[in-house]
Amino acid sequence: MLVTLKLLSLPTIFFLSLAMLALSAMVILHPRVPLNFVRIHVRICGLPPLIALLNLVTNSTKVIFGPWRLDPLAWLATLFVLTIGLVVQRYSVRQLLGDRNYRGYFALLTLTTGSASLAWLSNDLRLLLVCWGATLLGLTLLIRLNRDWRVAKSAAVRAGRLFALSWIILLLAITWLALMTGHWQFSLTLTQGSLVQLSSWERTGIALLLVIAVAIPAAQYPFQRWLLDSVVAPTPVSAVMHAGVVNAGGIILARFAPIFSGDLAPIVLIVLSGISVLLGTGTILVQVDYKRQLVGSTIAQMGFMLIQCSLGAYLAAIIHAVLHGLFKSALFLQAGSAVHHNEQAVRATTTQTSFLWRTAGIILGLFVGIGFWFIVKGRGYDMISALLLGWSVSFAWSHLVTSGVGRIGRTVGFTLLAGALIVFSIILAAFYVLLHGTVSQGVQPHTSSIILVLFILLTSSVTGAWLSRHPSSTFSAVVYLWLVHLGEPYHDSIESHPKYLTAMPYSQGGKTRWMER
Amino acid sequence: MDGTLIFPDRHGLQQGMSVPDVLNLVSTNGINDWVSSASRVIAPLGPIASFAARSPWTGLEEQSFEQIARWLKDLRDVDIYPSALLLQDAKNRGEIDPTLLEKGLQHWLDSQPLKLPRDVAERFCRAALQLDDLPANLLAATELGGWAKKLSSLTLPVIKTPPVQTLSFRPQRQSGIKVEEDLNRHVIKCCKLFLDGSHAAWSLPNRQESFYRAWHRLVQYDPALNRSQRQLLKNCPKEATSALKEALSALEIPPSQIQNYLEAHLLALPGWAGMMLWRSQQTYQENSLLTEYLAVRISMEWALVQSYLPLPEQPSEEQALLIRLIAAWVHWGDLPIEDWSQLSATQQRAHLTLAYRFDDLLRRRLWLEAWEQTYEERLKKMIISKKPISHVEKPVSAQLAFCIDTRSEPFRRALEKAGPFETFGVAGFFGLPIETCELGSKHSHASLPVMLKPKHKINEFASKTDFESYQQRRQAANSVTHTFRTMKQNMLTSLLLPEVSGPWLSLQMLARSFFPRRAGRIFRQLQSKWLQKPSTELSLDYLQMKAGLPVGFSEEEKVQYVSQLLKMMGLTEDFAPLVIICGHGSRSTNNPYAAALDCGACGGASGGFNARVLATLCNQARVREALETEGIKIPEDTMFAAAEHITTFNQLRWLYVPELSEGAQAAFGRICEALSKVSERVNAEQLSRLPNLGFHFNNPNTEMQRLAEDWSEVRPEWGLARNAAFIIGTRRLTKDCNLDGRVFLHSYDWHDDYDGTLLSSIIAGPATVAQWVNLQYYASTVAPHYYGSGNKATQTVTAGFGVMQGNASDLLTGLPWQSVMKSDGAFYHAPLRLLVVIEAPDEYVERLMEHDLAFHQKVQNGWIRLATIDSKGHWNVIKEGNHD
Repeated sequence: MLVTLKLLSLPTIFFLSLAMLALSAMVILHPRVPLNFVRIHVRICGLPPLIALLNLVTNSTKVIFGPWRLDPLAWLATLFVLTIGLVVQRYSVRQLLGDRNYRGYFALLTLTTGSASLAWLSNDLRLLLVCWGATLLGLTLLIRLNRDWRVAKSAAVRAGRLFALSWIILLLAITWLALMTGHWQFSLTLTQGSLVQLSSWERTGIALLLVIAVAIPAAQYPFQRWLLDSVVAPTPVSAVMHAGVVNAGGIILARFAPIFSGDLAPIVLIVLSGISVLLGTGTILVQVDYKRQLVGSTIAQMGFMLIQCSLGAYLAAIIHAVLHGLFKSALFLQAGSAVHHNEQAVRATTTQTSFLWRTAGIILGLFVGIGFWFIVKGRGYDMISALLLGWSVSFAWSHLVTSGVGRIGRTVGFTLLAGALIVFSIILAAFYVLLHGTVSQGVQPHTSSIILVLFILLTSSVTGAWLSRHPSSTFSAVVYLWLVHLGEPYHDSIESHPKYLTAMPYSQGGKTRWMER
Repeated sequence: MDGTLIFPDRHGLQQGMSVPDVLNLVSTNGINDWVSSASRVIAPLGPIASFAARSPWTGLEEQSFEQIARWLKDLRDVDIYPSALLLQDAKNRGEIDPTLLEKGLQHWLDSQPLKLPRDVAERFCRAALQLDDLPANLLAATELGGWAKKLSSLTLPVIKTPPVQTLSFRPQRQSGIKVEEDLNRHVIKCCKLFLDGSHAAWSLPNRQESFYRAWHRLVQYDPALNRSQRQLLKNCPKEATSALKEALSALEIPPSQIQNYLEAHLLALPGWAGMMLWRSQQTYQENSLLTEYLAVRISMEWALVQSYLPLPEQPSEEQALLIRLIAAWVHWGDLPIEDWSQLSATQQRAHLTLAYRFDDLLRRRLWLEAWEQTYEERLKKMIISKKPISHVEKPVSAQLAFCIDTRSEPFRRALEKAGPFETFGVAGFFGLPIETCELGSKHSHASLPVMLKPKHKINEFASKTDFESYQQRRQAANSVTHTFRTMKQNMLTSLLLPEVSGPWLSLQMLARSFFPRRAGRIFRQLQSKWLQKPSTELSLDYLQMKAGLPVGFSEEEKVQYVSQLLKMMGLTEDFAPLVIICGHGSRSTNNPYAAALDCGACGGASGGFNARVLATLCNQARVREALETEGIKIPEDTMFAAAEHITTFNQLRWLYVPELSEGAQAAFGRICEALSKVSERVNAEQLSRLPNLGFHFNNPNTEMQRLAEDWSEVRPEWGLARNAAFIIGTRRLTKDCNLDGRVFLHSYDWHDDYDGTLLSSIIAGPATVAQWVNLQYYASTVAPHYYGSGNKATQTVTAGFGVMQGNASDLLTGLPWQSVMKSDGAFYHAPLRLLVVIEAPDEYVERLMEHDLAFHQKVQNGWIRLATIDSKGHWNVIKEGNHD
């Protein structure tokens, strides 16, 4: 027994556990299997992420294992997407209890997250395509699962079409690349030696195709429609969608970094993503539905992640993709807590914000920003990081410390701020240690692109400030209405009353997929 | 009027009244009157954080249940009788007695002038009563169409006038042009942005002005409309009433139909309209909000429908109806199409009339009545056949007063079994019309049934130093969420927010996912440890305020409320050493509907505060002295305490325990000892009813606590589902009966109620609350899409105060699908109209019906059912429509 265990390497155990998970997902679909098998299924869901974690911490070098490429980035992405899958499936056990498609949700959630994890482990580009295709298919089917509801069906159709487009474009890009370099393996195609075979226009062409292929699942302008309409999906499905699928672009671009870092493609992506950041932020500002605000936030955050990629900051993009995924899935899963209680609204408004405290905040922000710049020995993108960090610190200071009530309030605020900063730096350092060997550092971006990004961020902040001072101007009204309009769902994905509920077949109808005890 | 409003042709419904005539007739006042009469069709809808049960049909009780059912079916295609599938399911479960169904059928046949042989009619009806559908191929048969044409010369005795539909609805019905959907979309968008209570960072411009004005100033720029629509709306009048007038006359709605037209519009989105109505009742400044809503909606309708005008005449539905009637006889009456030629014209008419009258709705009405009667029979059997309890009882060591809520019944039953405890049922606000304000809160909650208005304000307060440091700790705790929210709304900080808060959120997410019960408890404990809420007192003594309600009660009022309540409970003598007043509240996590599980009599909040107020009043020496002069003598060593019954896991949480006398201390000990067994017993009973994937739990208590703490849980408890009856009588009547948590119990002893005032106040207050709860559950079960709030997993909280389905929808009014259904395929709540059982002699009930016309009307029109148990113990049924 022990001998056989020794023969099995950790990666083998991982693939075995994944196979077990796939099997379990198929078992659950069978109507004869009692429903409480779901609990066993969720336990099985826990195995692969655990083993992926072991792989991640024990293995720091790149290993080519059959068609798989097992480097820390691959393991991290796998661990992340499988953990999201586990949490969401655990959540669904109670959240979807009694749903007619109960079994289907578990099977499809497993399909979606399982194949996404395999996609990030693939070394073979064809395998990547197949697995990523399966993920997109699984997601479409998840949105469509409640197809008796007209709006869910139409949202699924729209998402499915865009996903298909994205996948076909990725297929084109990969085939083009493979035909030119003669290899289907990441480890062979994306080497300096292979890439010299490509002319510069071919590189740009492939990179542009990649831009479109990743902009669609990341719901970037002008492809944001599918994400806006998919609010019809049940909460756990939204959690998987916003955490595990939309951020694929970051990982794909990090993988294809050598070919992506050209001249034109990053600029195109910066423009599209810049618009998306503005659009997404605008949606958060004007919309009042909790889930729609989260959609807006995802569009903006994914825009930012792709901007990071365009500036060659792949490591930052991966960190952002992972932490945003966890952040967003947590926010979706607690969507039921968004009801506004009057108690929460009560805040001290009487406290005098003293000049001294405010100045201290600004100075601290400057200090932290500049300090960061020096510590990381700033390169191109770090300028933006430093700006965001300094700004955030000074902003948080003004809310936590300056307007804190009494000594307790200020002490707590200060402690929180310091704690958050410390954890933030630890996490950042941990990611750096883990990934710096595998994630491409990218080429130094053009100063012009940095300036472009800074320009977008700063002008829109200024415009925002102006608009908030002149709320009743015509310009303000027009901008407001456009933001509302762009954040609204498509007209056929709204139904005033969910009529499908009246046509639910009762247990004696014989058609239900839910087994009553 | 401006020049754009020229319509060359008339269209649709109007009967030839030219535009200027309409305008002359409709004065501003007239419009407002019409709006307020039309508002009877909707119910006000408050924020979900203080979810209060309301019957959706409160304003419609002048008409019978069946009339309203037919009207809603015709107007909105909303069916408020249970569906055939649900009824069949109930029958399969043995909840409908076939003999009672047959009896109902016979009774109905007796009431009809048949003009047909009775056996033919009976055979037809019995077959039709199986509730199967007419086969589609039969309906499509060509011979049928031919016969229908031939028979169309026969005029049926009853020809319905079609209800007034909105002009935007009609093209949808007739040719699939979705004008109404477009209109709804625009209206939903305007409403949510205007009403927003979640403080969006960038709120609707000019929101502080009225709804109509804010909309009017914006709509001319709305990119969702086309140029001509924007132009038309820009030229609308600046005031809501004139805009509404103008839109109505532009659409050529004749004055005789205006009210119906407005009603049809209100029913298109009853939730948003209900929220507007609720808001209009809150402050004087907004009192015309509903008119403004209609002005926006109908002006918008005009802009959208304009290009389709004039609408074609509505096709007559008579042909289709005749086809169905003939097909019904073919299918259920064994009368083939060929045989119709052999019938005389009179016979044909008699056949058609019977099929017409015995339609789908009526059949399901008979089923529903049979279901209700089956329940009533079983309840009657249980109560009447019970052996009378001997009056020799052990000395009672404690008396506990509970809310009438159906969840109190199992708890009271278990408690009475566990020791010498006596329990009472009374409305959970304990007769105190108060607004409560908890320590450090600026918001006060009207803690009483929604149909009453608060008269006093009670504050919770603590010593100044305690309060200040508590307030600072509270603010500090709030500042975290506040900072998180504002950072999310700022573009630069939001981009860094995932990195900063992601690790914390993921920790919380993992803990909540894998250790739901423990994690939830730890979070709660940490919070309460940090806050360290100081011990508090209540401001019970009278204090006149400059504005708003007076704080506290005067001495007379204290005595009056206490004595009134003790009389209502029937506790005016034989006091035990310890009397515990129990409010109730629920615990659930991540549940927008948490308030729906709290006390309905306290306006959707826990009743603990009211319980504490009452118990404190009862312990005041001056109150007791004054009570003694009224003949209520509370012994000196009797003490009153207050507790909260947590309905999710059935525990009593002590809220107020004064210094106890020796006897009271002993009783307190006994209660505490009994409680753990009681919780376990009730939890085991409740747990078996919740769907749980077929697991067996060794300790029901921990599983029930998990339900309260698990953030993924959609059914933390069943709430008031399966409620069916309201018994007003002594506990002797129902003691030892397992009423299955389906019954509201109000203590009442007619011997102590010489003039019937207690009975009439029970009927006017608690019984009405119970009826509203009952009809809300009823409506959410039979029309889950329209009166319920759909699947919890696909809801989104909007504007901080309500929920919508999916991408956007009407603001949903009732209970979620999961709160009334065990699963998509099996109902849990049985939709039965509330059965009120009064234990009192006939003359009491007669007197009640004479004086309380509203109640009389409810019974007569089938909105509530009534039975009495007279002094001899006989059960009398008072039939709907038969009582004079």
